[in-house]
Amino acid sequence: MGLKLNFNLDPRTKIIILVLISFMVFNEVPLYISGILVLVPFICLFFSNRIKLALSYILIYIFAKYIQIYLLPTATGIIAIFLIMFSYTATRMLPILMMGYYTIQTTKVSEFIASMEKSNIPKEITIPLSVIFRYIPSVYEEIKSITDAMKMRGFGLNAKSLKNPLKLIEFYMIPILVNAIKTADELSAASLTRGLSNPISRTHFVEVKLNKIDYVLLVISFMGLGIYAYYFLGGVLFA
Amino acid sequence: MLKIEDISFSYDNNETNYNLADINQNIKEGEVILLCGESGCGKTTLTRIINGLIPNFFNGTKQGNVYLKDNLINEIPIYEISKYVGSVFQNPKTQFFNVDTTGEIVFGCENLAMDVDEIKSRLDHVVKDFKIQPLLDKNIFKLSGGEKQKIACASVSAVFPDLFVLDEPSSNLDAQSSWDLEDIIKNWKQSGKTVIIAEHKLFFLNNVVDRVLFLENGRITEKWSIDEFKSINHRDYGLRQINLENLYVNHDGYYSNNQDLMELRNFNFKYGKKQVLDIDGVKIPKNEIIAIIGKNGAGKSTFANCLCGLKRSCKGEIIWGDVHLKRKDLLKKTYMVMQDVNHQLFTESVLDEVLLSMGEENISRAEEILTNLNLIHLKEAHPMALSGGEKQRVAIASAIASGKEILIFDEPTSGLDLKNMMKVSENLIYLQKLGITSFIITHDFELIMDVCSHVLHMEDGKIIDNYKINEDKLKNFFLKN
Repeated sequence: MGLKLNFNLDPRTKIIILVLISFMVFNEVPLYISGILVLVPFICLFFSNRIKLALSYILIYIFAKYIQIYLLPTATGIIAIFLIMFSYTATRMLPILMMGYYTIQTTKVSEFIASMEKSNIPKEITIPLSVIFRYIPSVYEEIKSITDAMKMRGFGLNAKSLKNPLKLIEFYMIPILVNAIKTADELSAASLTRGLSNPISRTHFVEVKLNKIDYVLLVISFMGLGIYAYYFLGGVLFA
Repeated sequence: MLKIEDISFSYDNNETNYNLADINQNIKEGEVILLCGESGCGKTTLTRIINGLIPNFFNGTKQGNVYLKDNLINEIPIYEISKYVGSVFQNPKTQFFNVDTTGEIVFGCENLAMDVDEIKSRLDHVVKDFKIQPLLDKNIFKLSGGEKQKIACASVSAVFPDLFVLDEPSSNLDAQSSWDLEDIIKNWKQSGKTVIIAEHKLFFLNNVVDRVLFLENGRITEKWSIDEFKSINHRDYGLRQINLENLYVNHDGYYSNNQDLMELRNFNFKYGKKQVLDIDGVKIPKNEIIAIIGKNGAGKSTFANCLCGLKRSCKGEIIWGDVHLKRKDLLKKTYMVMQDVNHQLFTESVLDEVLLSMGEENISRAEEILTNLNLIHLKEAHPMALSGGEKQRVAIASAIASGKEILIFDEPTSGLDLKNMMKVSENLIYLQKLGITSFIITHDFELIMDVCSHVLHMEDGKIIDNYKINEDKLKNFFLKN
């Protein structure tokens, strides 16, 4: 296709959509109600050149819905438990996870700060939030390396460790927390030496603004949420 | 340029225990000063006094004054100091505020509220100066250690400060990247900047430093010109060697009797479509201390991960005596001491850590292991509360306890002074005596000369050389060509 779409959302759009989609976790609704909200992350992933991921997301979602509608009524016993677990987690959580992934992957820290300051959000909120943005990729690296360390000591998906699953969580949390504190400390020191505490408002090398595409997606998402809320509240109010 | 007057400092407000005491120095414009001394001698503290992190970030009792261009540094707010002083730190992971390289380079300028055109021209300027065009708009976390440190230097340069303060910038760098750092410092020096550098690794500073200050217990006890410094015996002062030509192989030949441990055939690993590891056939000697050398990104870590059996899709034959091993078998036989050893300490006490690795818990055996590694007095301590070297020994202890036959060390001496490097050497020799084969991924020439007996040289995912320790070959790789 010769069409080259400049698909670059403003960080504000991404965050608003993420919040809107998060409402989906509240209730289970038919597909024609949640459909729009399910499609938004797909659109974002698809047009930001993550086509493979977008397609697998939508396929898994459809598969989970299929299970819910056709298989669950007839399933029994342990199989039913697994099917319920899978299908409900997938249908409720997957859109949020995908949108979150998209937001983290495509937002530069500098873009994020620029757009927040454009909305007059104070530094005291923007800076800690941007540190979270910055920190997430390194948490991922750490989880990988801790998993490796556990494998070398014979933990993982086997009888020895499944006897005590809480221990496993502890094994992950302690190193991550210790490193998080250390990183936070060193990062604050480093950014102080770079003048981050300057009270004069910063300039922004990257330009961010709300484009047509931002508005289109925002309108779509709000419509999706509207339908969803109407169905949900309607069910409560008119029951 | 910089005048330090009677500076004393203590982090814990303890008047009898100063981390820095009676520092007096006059640093002229355009000078390159090296601060050296053992870990904890106060060199990092001195850099923090100069870049304003003391007292703006670290608290403590401070006496004395520092004048930056005749202005009292105490009276300048830290964001103002950042216009004149640029700081580069040891750990590339924690000095970047941004995830993308371009954002990071302009970050300081943005903070100082320069206008966008000015930032653009400065960005172009440093990109040209540092030759980092190919690194722009990349994810910093995907860069090699050397590239990260280049970006760090470029980012502080973009503000055009007059003084650069570097705190152990070469800890995570390979030999070539360290030489690149030398070029960067030379470049600064030529444009009249002042550079203060605190470092353990000294070899790459041979031709660029003007004066050397040696610190001991917070005091400057020796001052040398670079020529005087070259002629002293570094070991007398607990320092790393400045001239790598002066190092000799300590243990010539093999420790044991030249048996093969294993043979790898068609050992390969692909990441996506990219062939990251491709080893046709290599024989590895048993019970030796084997250095794995090569540039950043040559595939050393991938090789180590595959050797540990951590990569599921790693293919190839592993011939161990007369049996063929599977990935799961490797996982049982090998153990890696990671660079960030925090990732592999899980329990609440050192003793538990060792017990956790045993099939059947055996307290007396565990205590014996701890005694041999000089950890027994810490057996009730929380592993996270230990020093770096102690943590490393705890990891070694748990590997011994689980009966591993191969130990792999990922950069065990990065950022260590001579004394602590020697301790790592001792541990390696102890492991050799236990019959364990050790692999050491390292950029530390001094460590290799001190203790290693065999070398695997990697490049582009291949083992391009596999030899008994050989001074000439090693020097050829480590010295600047």
